[in-house]
Amino acid sequence: MSTTQSDDTLRKHKILVANRGEIAIRIMRACKKLGIPYTAVYTAEDAASGHVRLARAEGGEKSLFRVSSYHDANELMCVADDASCTAVHPGYGFFAEDFRFARRVAKRDRKMIFIGPSWKIIRELGDKINTKRLARSLEVPTVPGSDRPIYDEMEAERIAKTIFEFQQQQGIRHPLVLVKASAGGGGMGIEEVYDPDQFRSVYRRVRNYALRQFKDEGVLIEQRIMDFNHLEVQIVSDRTGKNPVHFGTRNCSIQSTGLQKRIEVAPGFTPEVINYSFDAQKVLDDIVAYSLKMARSVGYDNVGTWEWIVTRQGAPYLMEVNTRIQVENGVSARIAKIRGQDGVDLIAEQIRTGLGEHLGYTQDDISFEGVSIEYRLIAEDPENNFTPWVGQIECFEWEKAPWLTMLTHVPERLPYEIPTEFDPNLALAIVYGKDIRQTRERGIAFLDSLCLTGKDNRGNGLKSNEAFLKANTERILHF
Amino acid sequence: MLNISQLLDEIKASPYREIVVVAPHTGKITFAEIAPGDRVHGPQGQWKELPGDRLATLERERNPKPVCAPENGEISLVHKELNGCFVEAGTPLVVLRHMLTRDEVQRTILQKTLHLFLAPERAKYYFTPEADKKIRSSDAHSVTVRDGMELFIMSRMKREVPLHYTGPDGVIYEVYFKYNENLDAGAPLIGVCPQAHLHVIHDMIIRVQTEWTET
Repeated sequence: MSTTQSDDTLRKHKILVANRGEIAIRIMRACKKLGIPYTAVYTAEDAASGHVRLARAEGGEKSLFRVSSYHDANELMCVADDASCTAVHPGYGFFAEDFRFARRVAKRDRKMIFIGPSWKIIRELGDKINTKRLARSLEVPTVPGSDRPIYDEMEAERIAKTIFEFQQQQGIRHPLVLVKASAGGGGMGIEEVYDPDQFRSVYRRVRNYALRQFKDEGVLIEQRIMDFNHLEVQIVSDRTGKNPVHFGTRNCSIQSTGLQKRIEVAPGFTPEVINYSFDAQKVLDDIVAYSLKMARSVGYDNVGTWEWIVTRQGAPYLMEVNTRIQVENGVSARIAKIRGQDGVDLIAEQIRTGLGEHLGYTQDDISFEGVSIEYRLIAEDPENNFTPWVGQIECFEWEKAPWLTMLTHVPERLPYEIPTEFDPNLALAIVYGKDIRQTRERGIAFLDSLCLTGKDNRGNGLKSNEAFLKANTERILHF
Repeated sequence: MLNISQLLDEIKASPYREIVVVAPHTGKITFAEIAPGDRVHGPQGQWKELPGDRLATLERERNPKPVCAPENGEISLVHKELNGCFVEAGTPLVVLRHMLTRDEVQRTILQKTLHLFLAPERAKYYFTPEADKKIRSSDAHSVTVRDGMELFIMSRMKREVPLHYTGPDGVIYEVYFKYNENLDAGAPLIGVCPQAHLHVIHDMIIRVQTEWTET
């Protein structure tokens, strides 16, 4: 995608990979592809992780530093200075959506580039209520309800009434309104209202609870959406912020009980193969158009994801914006082509544009073909509330195939102790097929060929979500 | 039965422990005026409120941070070649030869005499709220444990599970873990002393206090 002239400018940079595991590996590979040197960091617990081995093998001079913690910004800045880095890639998690960190990187004495949107955009879109307000000002649909804490009983009743009426119009048989303490968190002070006549008493109860617990009687009122699909729109833009493009939609509806994604599929729906009770193509077109509209309006200047809720009636609502690269970016890249060329790498695009290169193509140059699914292989027990499993992996093998991309930091055939300090993600498997049927078959074939065994301290065998993934492969993209 | 004299003699035969002082985080290291053979002091004062002698200064993002001696001892090695260099977290800086204190001797012997309840897995451990309250209000000795009683919360990857104590009944004599610290599988959590053996432990402590001279 890049020209030789700009390659030289890119190579003058050096990137600090401020993350671990699988995403650190992907960032390092993208850097290698672009010819940009990098520096990786690791902590004592992570010494056996794949990203450390890769940096040691391929990194070159000053490419690997042991730090006390990934959460310590001072450590990262200090390493970046010593290794003469000019840019920081935060990956996902840790500092990826921390506007203070992004601002520090960009504003310190020895300035560096934060590979992600500029800090002002992270600040603006990082706050859910602010995002909702911004979306509404652009007539982008959001979950019906208040976009600020409500302190007045009359106003609260008025909002609740409109939400009930709205749900009736939508043909929802059992309308539900959610009353939340605005200052609360973690499920505290949330109640559901089934009956409009009950609203006032529930409202007063939540308000009094909020006053007692949080010394703030502000209350949020929202529609409770029960039956929905979770869709995403992948946006990519360069530093001009003027010409964002989209890399299609993804469907991330298959999740664990804790609402953590387990299977992601691109594209978001396949109306040509599966029948939906609504106009699925229109939904996809709408959410893409809305996402681009918002991106253009804020001058969005790197990669990002607009997350949507789509109800069974086919109504999309914006949930939030993730101002970073996401775990599942690989499925969108897998089905995308730029000027007919496949092998799209969104992380490389993120780095390239983050360092100031122009996008170099427009929406018309991007096309899509086929269906891709991503499995998140995790050591956990789906039958027991997805409890993480901890122990030593003894064997991790699978049958290689041209349609399969495996992203993992776990070594093959070597014993590997799962560190308990981080999340138990073991690998991402991206499967591609020309249509949904072929992708499903290949997905099952991959899961069948997979050998993942291990033992914990008590000698019990490894538990993984393999069976859960297999059972859910059948229902992907159905709604 | 426990042979305190023998244990004490064993420790007296090699009363030193080697302490490797490592860099707590990355940064530029500048050593203090120290050389092998120098004697340094660890934290002093009634509550160890005075920091130990400064061994080096570690500067990161323009914040100099002193690296102090964790215990009394004699310096046996200084990695002077690192002076002025950028070091990674965990880099060895200084090696101290530390003569065991009374408390340490006592702890070593206790580890051999008490019933140790070990961490079953690598995780963070906490006492249950009831036990925690009791320990905070008086001390660990006030908590009597029984076989099968729910005593700990084991936390890993943001999930918490209760952990039951197994072993002889008795009082918690020693607590070996710190709040929010990750423990390896097999690391001791608590040392339990059966009521009947308490006098043996008290005798041992008195003997250590009288027989062990600190330098």
